[in-house]
Amino acid sequence: MRTLIKLSPLLIPFCVLFLGGMVLAVAQSLGFFAPLEAEGGLFAAYSRLLEPPFLRSFGFSLYVALVSALVSVGLGSVLAYGVWKLPASLQKTATLYKVPLILPHIAVAFMILVFWTKSGVFASLAFHVGLIDSAGEFPSVLYSGNGLGMILAYVYKETPFVILLALAMLKRLDPRLIQTAVMFGASRPRIFISVVLPHLKPVLHTTFIILFLYSFGAFDIPFLLGESSPAMVSIEAYNLYFQRDLSNRPAAMAMLVVMFLFAALFIGIYARVVSRMEMRERKL
Amino acid sequence: MKHWLYMALLVVLFVAPLLALVVYALAPGWRFPDLWPHAWSMRTIEQVFMGPQTSRIFSHLLWSVVYSLLTTGATLAICLVPAQHLARHEFSGKRVLEALLLAPALVPAMTFSMGVHFAFIKLGLADTLPGVVLVLTVFSYPYMLRALVAGYQAFGREYELCAANLGAGFFQRLLSVELPLILPSAIAGGSVVFLVAFSEYFLVFLIGGGAVPSYTGYLFPILNSSDRALGSMLTLVFLLVPLLLFVLTDVVVTRAYRKRGMY
Repeated sequence: MRTLIKLSPLLIPFCVLFLGGMVLAVAQSLGFFAPLEAEGGLFAAYSRLLEPPFLRSFGFSLYVALVSALVSVGLGSVLAYGVWKLPASLQKTATLYKVPLILPHIAVAFMILVFWTKSGVFASLAFHVGLIDSAGEFPSVLYSGNGLGMILAYVYKETPFVILLALAMLKRLDPRLIQTAVMFGASRPRIFISVVLPHLKPVLHTTFIILFLYSFGAFDIPFLLGESSPAMVSIEAYNLYFQRDLSNRPAAMAMLVVMFLFAALFIGIYARVVSRMEMRERKL
Repeated sequence: MKHWLYMALLVVLFVAPLLALVVYALAPGWRFPDLWPHAWSMRTIEQVFMGPQTSRIFSHLLWSVVYSLLTTGATLAICLVPAQHLARHEFSGKRVLEALLLAPALVPAMTFSMGVHFAFIKLGLADTLPGVVLVLTVFSYPYMLRALVAGYQAFGREYELCAANLGAGFFQRLLSVELPLILPSAIAGGSVVFLVAFSEYFLVFLIGGGAVPSYTGYLFPILNSSDRALGSMLTLVFLLVPLLLFVLTDVVVTRAYRKRGMY
């Protein structure tokens, strides 16, 4: 009882706004409060999600989120190890890596535009190196249907986040472990894989979940860099809700509910798989 | 030498893209295939700081600062007591509850916000400042909660008990004992909350609906237009605000601690 009272300042907004918003989203997806009378039963909106266009954009969201989270975690952990090895005098200057952390997502997306369009900074570089003769020859990195623009934006924004968390964890790594490995003749990649990565594993799992789910469900970057077909689920739901006719609203809400359910399920399964893997390792 | 090469790599990866924006902002004529601009111009500086749009730009910026600060204050207010309780007491279901309370920052924010949007329209909270602050608060309080719980765990109950023993009431304990002790964690959490609220585009755009001006809302169409120079300049202005604010809090807090002889 005391606990409930003490936690109430947080529990009340959580229940009313977060859970309440969730309930309203589910209700709208089932056809309640719809501006037009829904047809075809409670789950009509969900049956629409089984059609290929939605499945394609769901798969596309998964792909963009997976690639950007994997690359960020990989790159971030290697760079963090590099920063950790720097002498103390340089550690402070190395905090320059934090710059993208304070950039808003739409600004990061804009920077990707500036660098990667056919008339952007990299196109100019390629021209001067002699790789291309005109702007048209520069490969279309953006808007080519493979999500590369979004992936680049997420990697630029998220890698510093990985470095930040991995560095905090590396502070507790005993440098003598590395020295011992060197004495036994371990190569540098070997040391990274067998000593550093196992130490970082818990924090890398957490960051992977955070980054994966963020890029899976976020709106800002795809709104500026996204393609229309296939589109990320968030953009698809947004367009369906606001831009086409009102009868699509339950389907848009159903997409958002599926997105949420997937996120919840993903956290659950991921946590279980990781803990099972750890159990097996302990037995060995 | 090797270390300097590594530093150079970090700078190229994370700082150089920003420098490119500076060049774009000061050389509106810079375009393919020039590696370096031929001519520099003050056009974007004049447009942003001395042009007919200046007052609009800065009123949008001010609104963003206002709702972000309100959000930061609101998250602190709702997290303070619960964080203390979570840090100091054990109860059944605590781990599940803690995980649940962090959910708003993990799961896609669109689902709950579009649901809430519907209710806000009925309640008249859509397109208002309180509506925007409420939604941003729910979206960003987990960062504050994490920071405060960690902060409370770092020092024990003894200070509080001691004060209670000397006859201090609830509010006196809160103001003179707990707040000064928890302040560093509150600032750490608050900086993240401010940053999240300040740079959020979608939630403000959805709930504010254009009636609540926001810098991100002002910026977006320009970033999407062909005027790269103006977009770059406005992005740089965007960065200045959190930087200034962080420096300011740092100076104020250090001075306050010095005055009390705590630092």
